Amino acid sequence: MSAPLSMGAEGQHRAMLSFNRVSKQFAHGVKALDGVTFDVPRGEFCVILGPSGSGKSTLLRALNGLTPLSSGRIAVDGAELKPKSLRSVQRRVAMVHQQFNLVERLDVAQNVMSGAVADAAFWRVLLKWYPKSLRERACDLIARVGLDELHLTRRMGELSGGQQQRVGIARAFLLDPDVILADEPVASLDPATSRDVLTLLRDAARERGTTVLCSLHQLDLALDFADRIIAMRSGSIVFDGRPDALDRSTVASIYEGSGLEQSRVAA
Amino acid sequence: MDMSNPPRPSLERRREINWHLPAPYTWRMLVLLIAVAGLLLVSARRVDIDKFLALSAEAIAAQLGLRESSQVGRGLARIGKDLFPITLSYRTDVSRVADFDEAKLPWLAYVETVDHREYRMNPDTTKLEETVSRKKVMVEPLGYLTLTVGKMIETIEIAIWATILAVLLSIPLAYLGAANYTPNRAIYAIARGTVSLLRAIPELISALFLVLAFGFGPVAGFLALGLHGAGFLGKFYAEDIEAADKKPQDALRALGASKIRVLRLSVLPQVLPSYIAYTLYILDRNVRMATVIGLVGAGGIGQELKGRYDLFEYGNVGTILVVIFVTVFLLDQISARLRARLIA
Repeated sequence: MSAPLSMGAEGQHRAMLSFNRVSKQFAHGVKALDGVTFDVPRGEFCVILGPSGSGKSTLLRALNGLTPLSSGRIAVDGAELKPKSLRSVQRRVAMVHQQFNLVERLDVAQNVMSGAVADAAFWRVLLKWYPKSLRERACDLIARVGLDELHLTRRMGELSGGQQQRVGIARAFLLDPDVILADEPVASLDPATSRDVLTLLRDAARERGTTVLCSLHQLDLALDFADRIIAMRSGSIVFDGRPDALDRSTVASIYEGSGLEQSRVAA
Repeated sequence: MDMSNPPRPSLERRREINWHLPAPYTWRMLVLLIAVAGLLLVSARRVDIDKFLALSAEAIAAQLGLRESSQVGRGLARIGKDLFPITLSYRTDVSRVADFDEAKLPWLAYVETVDHREYRMNPDTTKLEETVSRKKVMVEPLGYLTLTVGKMIETIEIAIWATILAVLLSIPLAYLGAANYTPNRAIYAIARGTVSLLRAIPELISALFLVLAFGFGPVAGFLALGLHGAGFLGKFYAEDIEAADKKPQDALRALGASKIRVLRLSVLPQVLPSYIAYTLYILDRNVRMATVIGLVGAGGIGQELKGRYDLFEYGNVGTILVVIFVTVFLLDQISARLRARLIA
């Protein structure tokens, strides 16, 4: 198999993430990804934009092994993703989820520290008794995402959606990952909270030089927060570039027939 | 902007819609209902529901004075007379107590002198003669109650250890028998099969066999109850693991956590409240069953009950029943409170 022209040896070393002809066909025949190829340089805040069903989630879930690929290759920091190396990749790639995916009956501190679930000693996980350095780091992160000491022992059910996603972001940053995957991180939040949470995610990532791959369906948020936008439709890339290069006709083609086109073009 | 006159839904359009709104009841349901009612009537004959109704009606008629007496009334009255007053005291013939010392009696105990009448046939006259002998009897006023309470405590201890055994056995069974955590299909089938088997054997029956294996006493009772309880808990625990919210598990799996770690940090906190509820229910059930299981010699208060019943000492049986009732009532209160506190 010959590599595509854009993927020279030099490019592979520079890129934090590299997708090479990635395809995914589900058992029921739906093709969620169709030959997707792109690189993400270290430290970039890259937004995957597209209507629901365009393959955004599948792309993110393929990167940490939640959805196995049908064909193609994914490399993280030059190392190809294989079943054998999956565990070590998963420790460098953290995820922020649409539904937050926090444990409702655990408190804020325990949820953040559960970010070390694969890294801590087994007995520490069993007793939920983490080392001092990790506990201190969790506190720092909880403060960084804008919660205070009173929140430490609150359970998830007592928190608002925005606060829960802040906890989700703190959990993702706990082990200082190279990459954060954010799968529609603000889809279940109101517009004002969405902006706060995305600002937090982008700024925290910039401070640490973390690469972020973030899927969104809101054009306005993508335009305001992304370093780069990759627009997808039916499993293929239809646009790849800086936000200011995205013109009306491209946007219309992304959302064509999805019922969202009118409002999005107007925005 | 043309927002001033949004088109109103016209009434004309209603005529075009020709939807079929299903009726809440159908003929099929009616036929099914009649069939079920018919089957229940046939079954009622087989379990003598008619006899039950006739006897109950007779008893109510007797209570209202429409009838002289009733079979049910007579039966209940006899039970009441036999069981009450309940026997609280314990009487021991002084001559049977080794090294009896009237100056050193147990707490509350006193000595009574009673006339003991005996009828003997005089071999010379072939007539019955009454001989009266005086006997000293030590009476402990609350002696039998104390003994019964002691047996009840032993019963509760059997139940507690049976519950501990059930929990310890069912945790691995639940892990291996949860479809989403089991290592493979074969182990899953074995675990689920074991759980069903344990649940299928009634405690009383397994106790019967365990008494043969381990001899009379609490061991057989504790094992029988523990194995049966493991059958219940293994099933309930496994089903809760399967039904737990998948999203938090996904999040930890994405971080590269192994199954056991995901189970500990994501599943266990979710299922813990219902686990506590199931376990308390099994404890409650074990206390009640532990009183019964003694009937086949597996220790506890049931063994005492069986002994007294066989000797026709119904006053003592009454004491035992009262102690069991009070215990079950108290246990209900305690476990309700415990549940409310632990599940918050």
